[in-house]
Parts: sequence; structure tokens; C-alpha cells
Amino acid sequence: MGGRALRTILAFVTIVLLHYSVRPFLGWRAEPDFLTVALLLAAVRMRPGSAAVTGFLLGLARDALLAQGFGSSAIAFAVVGFGAAWLKAAFFADNLALNGFFFFLGKWAYDLLFFILEGRLGGIDLAIQLGVWSPLAAAVTATAGVLLLILMRPLLQASPT
Amino acid sequence: MARAGRFESRFDLVLLVGCAFLGFFVRALPPHLRDPLASTIRRTVLAPLVSLQRTAELTRGALDTYESRTISLDSLALQAMEARSLAAENETLRDLLAMGARLRWGFTPAEALSASSAAEDFTVTLTVGSNAGIRPNSPVVAPEGLVGMVHTVDPTMSLAIIWPHRDFRVSAMDADGNAFGIVQAHLGREPESYLLELRGVAYRSELKEGTLILSSGLGGVYPKGIPIGTVLREIETPEGWTRSYLILPAVRPQDLRAVMVLDPQRANEGVQHVWSRPAARDSTTRRIVAASDSIARRAAQAEADAARRQAAIDSIARGAENAQQPSAEPRAQTPSPPPAPAAGDSQAGRRGTQGPVRQDSAPRDTSTSRDTAAGRDSTSPPGAAGRENRGSDSAVRRDSTPPRDSTRQLPPPVPPPDTTRSGRS
Repeated sequence: MGGRALRTILAFVTIVLLHYSVRPFLGWRAEPDFLTVALLLAAVRMRPGSAAVTGFLLGLARDALLAQGFGSSAIAFAVVGFGAAWLKAAFFADNLALNGFFFFLGKWAYDLLFFILEGRLGGIDLAIQLGVWSPLAAAVTATAGVLLLILMRPLLQASPT
Repeated sequence: MARAGRFESRFDLVLLVGCAFLGFFVRALPPHLRDPLASTIRRTVLAPLVSLQRTAELTRGALDTYESRTISLDSLALQAMEARSLAAENETLRDLLAMGARLRWGFTPAEALSASSAAEDFTVTLTVGSNAGIRPNSPVVAPEGLVGMVHTVDPTMSLAIIWPHRDFRVSAMDADGNAFGIVQAHLGREPESYLLELRGVAYRSELKEGTLILSSGLGGVYPKGIPIGTVLREIETPEGWTRSYLILPAVRPQDLRAVMVLDPQRANEGVQHVWSRPAARDSTTRRIVAASDSIARRAAQAEADAARRQAAIDSIARGAENAQQPSAEPRAQTPSPPPAPAAGDSQAGRRGTQGPVRQDSAPRDTSTSRDTAAGRDSTSPPGAAGRENRGSDSAVRRDSTPPRDSTRQLPPPVPPPDTTRSGRS
């Protein structure tokens, strides 16, 4: 395991910890999803299959804290991780705006998959959630992801090939 | 190389499909299998993260509580301030109601607006106009006293000049009706710009500080008896044949909220009893307080007198005891003492004894005389000295006198008896 992989793991763990330590302080209706940011930052540095497995495990951990829809996050994160790793050539560049858009798309895609698979919401509620709250949460997540990218630039300096 | 890449791609796809399959599998698990799995994950892998989340939420809860308490405190402080202003407004309105009850008729209550900008042009806008019967030159009053005069009247509102206005004039007098003059705004510098002047007071009429100044009713606009203010001090004016006084106004412009506009007819009828009652009440209260002070002073003085008298009596009793002890000592020295005189017959006893006894009695008499003098000086009953000097028996009787005798009127002083003279000699 090289230094790049270690740095990636360190960044991943740090962001996952932020999810459970910073997020409760915010208490917003549209909150930043640090787990999505962590998965996307890690996914672009690994193969799609590994990203899918990482997403699956991360989603399973998130599902364990949910009252219902156990497995939904696992599937959604697996798909998002695989997609992020597959699209890394297109999206991963040293451009903050592009990375922000990447985070936005990843979070929105996750919400789309999760709420459909969970099946708790339906009809107009699902439409409002996916049309209003999910984009808002995706925007907040993208902002948080960009901030983290700036803060962790020394840690994540090595670019993928 | 290309084959390896294709293999890796297929492998990635297989992993994705496998993950998706597993996901759907765990999602389809029945609750009795799914819940233990979730619980195991929570208790093992997620335990530190859950603990971290709980700490964060507790901290956030503490911050929220602190914030809500701060908001509550701010809200309470705001409410306290509002309550204070409401209490002041309530008091003003109560005073206004009381004044309305005393006026009974011929007045229109109004709200005085723009009082805060009164410093600029010294006018206020009243919320009543000609529709309510307001006419120009109507007096505007407040529970504290005179405010000003209606200047301009519109159907629904009117403008009034208040006393700091340079056109304000009112014929005034003191409460006794001895001094008359004209009150106008004192156009001085900033510290005194919110005061009034009483001008044209006859030179012989000297007013003391604190004298209440009322409207005299001579000008025809303001009825007689409205408080204007109180005298602060006399001021120097170019006219030497009259006196001018600086007046502290009864009404403060910044406190103007609710006022009353008097109808001209009501003004013509007079309002002398409207403000006189509080003034009379104040003076009565002052008189009662002064009388109670006087009674308390007299009681204290009487108590001090009684204490002084008691001290004098005790001193006399001690003197009498001292006088008896020396007279007994010579009798003990003589082998065949003569029969002791009766206790009550002190004069006879003294006459029957020889020189040493008389010498010993000298200091006793001197001390008795001194105490008596002190007692006389300190309003002790006159004549007590004479009675006490007649003998120890009388002194003992005085000692047993109850204290209530101290306040009784006693006979005039009696000249000191011979024992005093003999003591001095």
C-alpha cells in the first residue's frame, strides 16, 4: 500500500468522522452529506469495482442507523461509487467548480436511488423531495466538498493517472 | 494488455452486480434476520461513530439550550423595559382620569404626538380637532399642570404650542395671590433652555425658592389655578423696579403623552379646585408629618427628662446612704453610745450629734446641693432639692416615688436648707 493510498484512506476516514461530528451541529433541513463526499473522493482514486464495494460497505453502515430501508443506501452508494470511479477521467480535474458539480451530481444521484429504493415516500412527496430538497442538499454537499478539497489539498495533492 | 483491461472491467462489473445483489438481498431479509444484522453493525463498527454523533448532538443541545436561555433572558429584559414604560403610561393615564373626574365637564382628552421633536419648534400635534369641538386658543393641560395652547385646528387634529415656545405667555401668580407676573419661556442657553421666567413681579413681592406658581386667570385664555411651575431662583433683569424669577416647569415636554384640551366655556368657569386638591393634600401631608415629628421630639425630650430626674434621685439616695454610714462610725468608737435617733428624724439626729458628724455631713450636703442644682438645670421638678435636703428620709421616699410623678407639674423651687449653708461653711 503506497503513500497515495494511505493519504486517501486518511482523507476518507477524516471526512467520515466529520459526518458524525459536524453534521449534528448544523441541524439544517438540507444538510451536507459528508459520506457522499468521502465516497466520491475515494472512488476517483480506485477502480470501479473497489469503489462499488467501498460504497456498499459505507451504505450498509449508514443503513444500520436508519429505521427502515435497510440495504437501500448500500445499493445507492455502490452504484454512485462505481459511477464516480468510471467517470473519473471525465470529472477529475484540478478545477474546483467541476469538482463541485461532480459532488452535486453524486449526491443527487444517491438521493434519487435511495428514496426510490427505500419506498417510504411516494407521489408528490417524493417529487418534492427529489425536486426541491435533494438538489438543495446536493448544493450544500457540493459546497462542503469544495471546501474540504481546498482544506485537504495538501493531503490529496497526488492526481490520478 | 487489452485483454487484461477487459478482464478488469468485467471484474468491476461483477463486483457492482454482486454489491447490488447483496444490497437487494439484505433489503429483502425478514425483520428478525435484518434487525440483528443492523444491531451488530451498530454495536461493532459504528459504535465509535455513534458515540461521536451522540457527543456532537449533546453539545448541540447544550448550545441550543444556552441560546434559548439567552433569548429568554433578552425577552425578559425587553418585557421588563416594556413593563416599566407601561407602568409609567398607566400612571399618566390614571392621573389623567383623576383629573377628568375632577374637571367633570368641558374637556377633550387627546394624545400629544411628535413630543420627541418638540425641541425643534415646541409644538405638538393633538389627535383631536374641530370635529371634537377644539377651538384655537384653548388651554392644553396635563395632570401635572399647564402645557400650552391650541394654535391651529384641523377637523381631525390640531397643533398646540407648548410652554417653551417663544410666543407662549401666561399671566401668573404665587399660590397665596400676593405676587403677580407674566410667565414666558426662558430663552437661555442649553442648561436653562427648558425653564420658564416669571417677569414683572412687584419689587416688594419676594418669592422664595420652591414657591408654587399658578395661572392667575387675568389673561383671559388660561383659567385661574393651573400649576405652571415652582420658583428656582431670582434672576437679574435690566428692569430694576420689578423682580424676575426662574421657574422650573411643572410639565416636562418629553413626558407629554396624553393631555386634555379645555373648552373655552370650561376655562371661563374656572378650574381652581382641579389642581388645588392635590396641592392641599400635599400640604396636609406635610403638616401631619411635621406634627408627628414634633410629637416624637417632645416624647423623646420627656423621656430624657425622666431619665435625668431618675439619675438625680439615685444620686440623692446614694448621698443619703453615705450620710448615714459616717454617723454610725463614731458611735461604734464611743464606749457608751447615746441612743440612736429615729431614722426619720434626721434633723434631730444631726443636732444631737457632735462635731465629727457635722463635718462628715458637709460633703454629703455639698454633693446633694450639686445634684439638686443639676437637677434643677435639667428640668427636674422645682423644689425637689429642698425636700431632698431636709433629710435622708425624704430622699428615700422620693426614691420610692413611681416614675409617673416625673411628668407631674411640681411646686416652685424652694431655697436650699441650712444644711447646705453649713456644708459650705
